[in-house]
Amino acid sequence: MKFLEQAPRFLFFTGKGGVGKTSIACATAIKLAEAGRRVLLVSTDPASNVGQAFGVGIGDKITAIDAVPNLFALEIDPQAAAQAYRDRIVGPVRGKLPDAVVKGIEEQLSGACTTEIAAFDEFTALLTDKAITSGYDHIIFDTAPTGHTIRLLQLPVAWSGFLEAGKGDASCLGPLAGLEKQRAQYSAAVGALADGGRTRLILVARAQNSALCEASRTHEELAAIGLHQQFLVVNGLLPKEEAALDALAAALYAREQAALAATPDALRGLPCDYVPLKPFNLVGLDALRQLLVATPSHIEAAVGEPVELHAPSLSELVDGVAADGHGLVMLMGKGGVGKTTLAAAVAVELAHRGLPVHLTTSDPAAHLAETLHGSLDNLTVSRIDPHAETERYRQEVLRTKGAKLDAQGRALLEEDLRSPCTEEIAVFQAFSRVIREAGEKFVVMDTAPTGHTLLLLDATGAYHREVARMLDAKGAHYTTPMMQLQDARRTKVLLVTLAETTPVLEAANLQADLRRADIEPWAWVINNSVAAARPRSPLLRKRAENELAEMEKVATIHARRYAVVPLLRDEPVGAPRLLELAGHATEPA
Amino acid sequence: MTTIQVFDPALCCSTGVCGVETDQALVTFAADVDWAKQNGAHIERFNLAQEPMVFAENARVKGFLERSGQEALPLILIDGEIALAGRYPNREELARWAGLKKVEETKPGACCSGSSCC
Repeated sequence: MKFLEQAPRFLFFTGKGGVGKTSIACATAIKLAEAGRRVLLVSTDPASNVGQAFGVGIGDKITAIDAVPNLFALEIDPQAAAQAYRDRIVGPVRGKLPDAVVKGIEEQLSGACTTEIAAFDEFTALLTDKAITSGYDHIIFDTAPTGHTIRLLQLPVAWSGFLEAGKGDASCLGPLAGLEKQRAQYSAAVGALADGGRTRLILVARAQNSALCEASRTHEELAAIGLHQQFLVVNGLLPKEEAALDALAAALYAREQAALAATPDALRGLPCDYVPLKPFNLVGLDALRQLLVATPSHIEAAVGEPVELHAPSLSELVDGVAADGHGLVMLMGKGGVGKTTLAAAVAVELAHRGLPVHLTTSDPAAHLAETLHGSLDNLTVSRIDPHAETERYRQEVLRTKGAKLDAQGRALLEEDLRSPCTEEIAVFQAFSRVIREAGEKFVVMDTAPTGHTLLLLDATGAYHREVARMLDAKGAHYTTPMMQLQDARRTKVLLVTLAETTPVLEAANLQADLRRADIEPWAWVINNSVAAARPRSPLLRKRAENELAEMEKVATIHARRYAVVPLLRDEPVGAPRLLELAGHATEPA
Repeated sequence: MTTIQVFDPALCCSTGVCGVETDQALVTFAADVDWAKQNGAHIERFNLAQEPMVFAENARVKGFLERSGQEALPLILIDGEIALAGRYPNREELARWAGLKKVEETKPGACCSGSSCC
């Protein structure tokens, strides 16, 4: 493994949820510790299984792992860090200021940026405090700060001008005002990150177009701010031998190889390692030790019967959607879980039943929208380019509001406009133009704002509610966009996830966030299920079995209703394959 | 010397970038405060989302919040007395309150953007 050779002091693993960052970080820590180095493993995964993997309770204190000499671990929960930060600010005024005011302050401090910066705050000492770091040869992080966070911390104006002079602080910097550490410590931390001799960044991806594109974006963004020491790890590759064992495995193998062949140019120059898919769960010392061993694992199980799965299909779920005759259907979920494909599948299912549907999609490749447009009666398709919308919004704000700012103020405004919230708002505004159509027909969207964004957009929500109460008393009809989203008869939110630990947890977090805005997701959809595809190959059957526990959690704890969508042999493009995806009267190929 | 205190509403970003629209009033007011400070005015600003304790500890501000709610912010106090609420003052008002002699158009932020060096 190239990324392990001459490892520097700090190793950061980054990649989107579910690619296996934590497993690889654990395996790396074991490997280095067993080579005689003193290693501190820092996990920020809220679903951290580091403790479970080693059979020790860890938590927020540095804990020795007895089973592996020289290995120490620490778990930081970024949500808890953000909560602690909020409590520091809000706690003292609770009961002293009106409840509505306190609630408003808490919402302002509940964004993704606050969580990010609070987590970075926790990192700072680990990167800069000699008293802590000198005891270790390596400190391994199973996550890395985003470019947005690092750039904010680099802007000198972030510290001097805006915060001290009270010029009006910027969104993502709000949290910094309440942080305890000093500016010098943050710049030292950013300095350590950008020092190639001390820090190595390992991009973890799967052999999928979306994961590789995301890794490429992260690579370019972080390289642009000086993190040049980067390695790529492609995790969970299906071995070639497996492809001979069943048709699904063969199709997956071909798809992964095609994705690798189409690796973005920016990643091609990076040292790259491939980690094959293992037939066992990555829990426990022995399993983790084997993860980074290059030799293919011996597979004992023989080809056998598919895993039994009894779960509702997407088509059955759409029955419930169709019953209302019209309405807004929003597919929500983290990037890469398949929102666009499932939005198209839901739209096709509805149109197939003779119901009028407008599918509006942010499909970056555009091929999905193109193949569907005009292919079915009752179905219209429109497409919104998220990058173009965001850029238009940025330019508009800079042109109008940024005109009078000095160079430093403008730099900060520009950085604010690169925050994830901004993109979400710009795209949602573009989508919201078609929302009003949902009064007469179905509008299916593959993009939705988070609850936090909705609450901010609805900053005058209290005022709206007041108006609504007065009008209701007079029998008048009045709704705000927020009220439309909160009304389950008008709007159905489908949360999309994968049957894996981190994606399910991420979806549960999204659900909690929506509930804060009084929006109750109508159903969950588990996409790309290997179990639902009924594989026979031993490796895929093992993966299918692993999915069952996560599905059980969705079915019994998280979701009011749910559906499972199988992983398909071919990419689901075009109406017939989308119907097949939904489990609708499949015809033999 | 006259002290002008500005109590801002809780905004994720006072630039309003994260909101529906960037608030031009905030951008303009920021420039006006900068100008007035450089001309010797004593102005303090407090963001409800960052320093709520200041709001809670000031009886006038606390009472105002209880009566009118956070929607009625900003609130401007001069030497502890309510001077303006619901909107930001313009440059002329700031100058008058602070007892600045002349309102001259100067280029703000030429030598520094903070308050410390000027």
